[in-house]
Amino acid sequence: MLRVVRKRGYDAERGQFDSDLRARSKGVSEVKTIKVLPLALLGTAVGLVISLVLIFTRTLPVQASAEAAGIDNLYIFFLGFSGIIFGIVMLFLVVAVYRFRAHPNDEREGDNVHGITWLEVVWTVIPFVIVVLCAIGGLMVLRSGDVEAQARTSGQQIHVLGYQFGWKYSYLNQDIDLKDQQTLVLPVNEPVIFELESSDVIHSFWVPAWRMQMNATPGQVNETSTTPTKIGTFEIVCAYLCGVGHTNMNSALPGSIIPKVQVVSKSDFDAWVSKQKAEAAKVAESSSEEMTTGSAG
Amino acid sequence: MTAVLKPTLARCLWVAPAFAALAILITVAARSIFGMTPVLQESTLLTVAYIAGGIGFIVGIGGFDYWFTWMRGGELDPNDHSQHGAHSWGDYFKFNTDHKVIGIQYIVFTFIMFLVGGMFAEVFRSELANPGQQVLTDQQYSGLISQHGVIMIFVFMVPVFAGIGNYVIPLMIGAADMAFPRLNAVSFWLLPVAAFTLLSSFMFGSFDGGWTGYPTLSEQSGYGMTLYQLGVQLAGASSIATAVNFLVTIIAMRAPGMTLFRMPLLVWANLATSALVVAATPFIAGAQFMAMFDREMGTHFFTIAGNGDTFVYQHIFWFYSHPAVYIMILPGFGIISEVIATHARKPVFGYRAVAFSSAGIAILGFAVWAHHMFASGMEPWLRVPIMLSTLLIAIPTGIKIFSWLGTMWGGVLRMTTANLFAIGFIFTFVIGGLSGVMLAVVPFDVSITNSYFIVAHFHYVLFGGSIMTIYAGFYHWFPKVTGRMYNEVLGRWHFWITFVAMNVTFFPMHYQGLVGMPRRVADYAPEFAWSNMVISLAAFILGASTLIFVYNMIHSARHGKRAGANPWGGLTLEWLLSSPPPIFNFPATPRVIGGPYRYGEEGAKHAIVPEVEPATVETTV
Repeated sequence: MLRVVRKRGYDAERGQFDSDLRARSKGVSEVKTIKVLPLALLGTAVGLVISLVLIFTRTLPVQASAEAAGIDNLYIFFLGFSGIIFGIVMLFLVVAVYRFRAHPNDEREGDNVHGITWLEVVWTVIPFVIVVLCAIGGLMVLRSGDVEAQARTSGQQIHVLGYQFGWKYSYLNQDIDLKDQQTLVLPVNEPVIFELESSDVIHSFWVPAWRMQMNATPGQVNETSTTPTKIGTFEIVCAYLCGVGHTNMNSALPGSIIPKVQVVSKSDFDAWVSKQKAEAAKVAESSSEEMTTGSAG
Repeated sequence: MTAVLKPTLARCLWVAPAFAALAILITVAARSIFGMTPVLQESTLLTVAYIAGGIGFIVGIGGFDYWFTWMRGGELDPNDHSQHGAHSWGDYFKFNTDHKVIGIQYIVFTFIMFLVGGMFAEVFRSELANPGQQVLTDQQYSGLISQHGVIMIFVFMVPVFAGIGNYVIPLMIGAADMAFPRLNAVSFWLLPVAAFTLLSSFMFGSFDGGWTGYPTLSEQSGYGMTLYQLGVQLAGASSIATAVNFLVTIIAMRAPGMTLFRMPLLVWANLATSALVVAATPFIAGAQFMAMFDREMGTHFFTIAGNGDTFVYQHIFWFYSHPAVYIMILPGFGIISEVIATHARKPVFGYRAVAFSSAGIAILGFAVWAHHMFASGMEPWLRVPIMLSTLLIAIPTGIKIFSWLGTMWGGVLRMTTANLFAIGFIFTFVIGGLSGVMLAVVPFDVSITNSYFIVAHFHYVLFGGSIMTIYAGFYHWFPKVTGRMYNEVLGRWHFWITFVAMNVTFFPMHYQGLVGMPRRVADYAPEFAWSNMVISLAAFILGASTLIFVYNMIHSARHGKRAGANPWGGLTLEWLLSSPPPIFNFPATPRVIGGPYRYGEEGAKHAIVPEVEPATVETTV
């Protein structure tokens, strides 16, 4: 049986540990003995229930990229250990308040316990193990993303220019320049690398369905990548305060001028690309005609 | 007539404008001599007027009277205590060197600022209650959220802990006062100047870049942004001066017998915090100076046009602003240790571990700043070490939480309002801590950063953390400060309404963020409509609960039951004095003979205050 009584008392008067102190305050601790280990197990069980509730009621956007599943699994792992820690701490807190609360005019004093070294070691080591697990999980997900980005030999290279208040996309490998606020169209299951830049202030390019966000900063190019795995339209949100139009720089708002990103099949994408190129050629032709007529006139 | 010449607020009324006018005159003269056009450049003149007016205010209130008199060789009485201690109500509105008066000045002033910042939140919550924009324009909305953040952080949360520390720490360590009483008073009087500077920016369209004020958005903003930069520098200067004062006081002025490991844990926490402030705050001051020079003097630290680097600002800003988070919570941890030990009648469990974890957090706190920048485009390799150091900080924090549980275990818990807030703090802070661990992990952070998940996290650690500890501290030391008891029934109502409303306000924000609602927006997608309505209603209740507290404090301070010297049966030194304590604290130097938390030991004492005949008091002061 585990009892929370002092193994080694800390004699504050002499500033050192003293094992004799235990005997002096024995009377009080006998009354309040409570089994700690069963309580910890019960707390774990309660916490597990909290974890499961959190995990099964989790609300996340649709997983629309290759990276999304890994990140969501991380989140499920977080909910798992968070629920358990929360359960244990709360059970001990509630039991302590219930079990050790003073009665009116209660003049008793608490146990003269200054610490139990092994217990303190335990509650230092367990969080350490948990954060190491978090770090390992985080590194695995991070690395799989990086590996994919490095292995990218084919795929789309998109230059994204943030401005007040919208986005402008250029397909670097396709030689297509979209107009301001024109819809970003991407092929499904093909890696995409984004090169983000801003012409004025900091914006942040966030696609919640891809679990991807990166700042567009003036004066530097930020890279990030993803692989869309679902066909459909997804919200693009500017996540960094960028001025008076920031609120409306969110495709989820009704009446927003920001178009959602469109992920389409490979054949649809190819058709879209040739259409864009044809249009671009037409525009170039007409503008050169204009120039010739202009100079003639 | 003499009132306007003596160091009073009345003198400020003419000295501050006079300084401002003089600065404007000199600037106009200089500009015309050097042929700068336009001579009457509005932003330049305003800036010099604000800086000079601020200095003028400190001069007017009497911040430099003693030093000026000494400098011109005037007569000074080293034993002149005319500016020390409050003998009447009016003394709280004057330059005062008594740490107890300054502590009360700090607490009352910062709490008023808390109410102001809270009102801003209520206004923009009424905008957010319904989708669409009804109440505020985008510009006003950004202005209000920025003001809310800046007021809460720089003129409430950081200085209120300085206020509590100011009152309690010299008493706790058995000192007569802080090490530098005049500097202490100047630190306080800088705060109203900072608050005025920040709040008056509403006249110029406020500042609208969030509390972070990142360039290049800050370069586009109106004149209010310069006032943000000035205000932050002033609050920072106040904070640094106080921290230096605390460091010297705690290191050099402890009573005989008070070794480091006999210091109460609030003193430990303040020591760690002050070291953080002294080392970190100059960084934000530097960042704001550079940003202000960019705006007002045409330098190019962060401007793109002049080959500056906007990115550098983020690094410098967070190199302070992450440690600032610990500046706003470490003293709170100290308060919780005091409150729980005293009201549970039990020694702090693992005193040394708690003391060292404060130091550990302070040191690790310097190595985690870039976790605010995982999605900013910083060097990719830096993400991993910052993630690891951020995760590690959970360990000392966890040690504290478990130690408080261990302190309560086997105690005799007196469920006073102070203790309720301490226990409620454990509940809410664990939630904030756990979401903090999640956010430390890079891929998860990148997927939801700058969303409402972040807003939920930092309100759980700042409201659920810091503000709960502040309330716990207020209730705990209220009898000591006023000599009267607060009303427990009202205290309980305050706690329960605050606790429930706080959780209903901030918990749903986690879900909003995960689903994709960005922060700092005045409008949102229709799917967030009902959750925002719930949050806004809870936020109004949360705001209203503050009124119970205000009424309780004001009413009890005047009509409450007499408290006596030691209503909680505390062992630390402040409880050995009368309530409120004598103007010069201890009649004779106290002697510390044991640890601070010897509860449950028969007849144990932390310290002895020698009784002194009234006649000899004069000489020992």
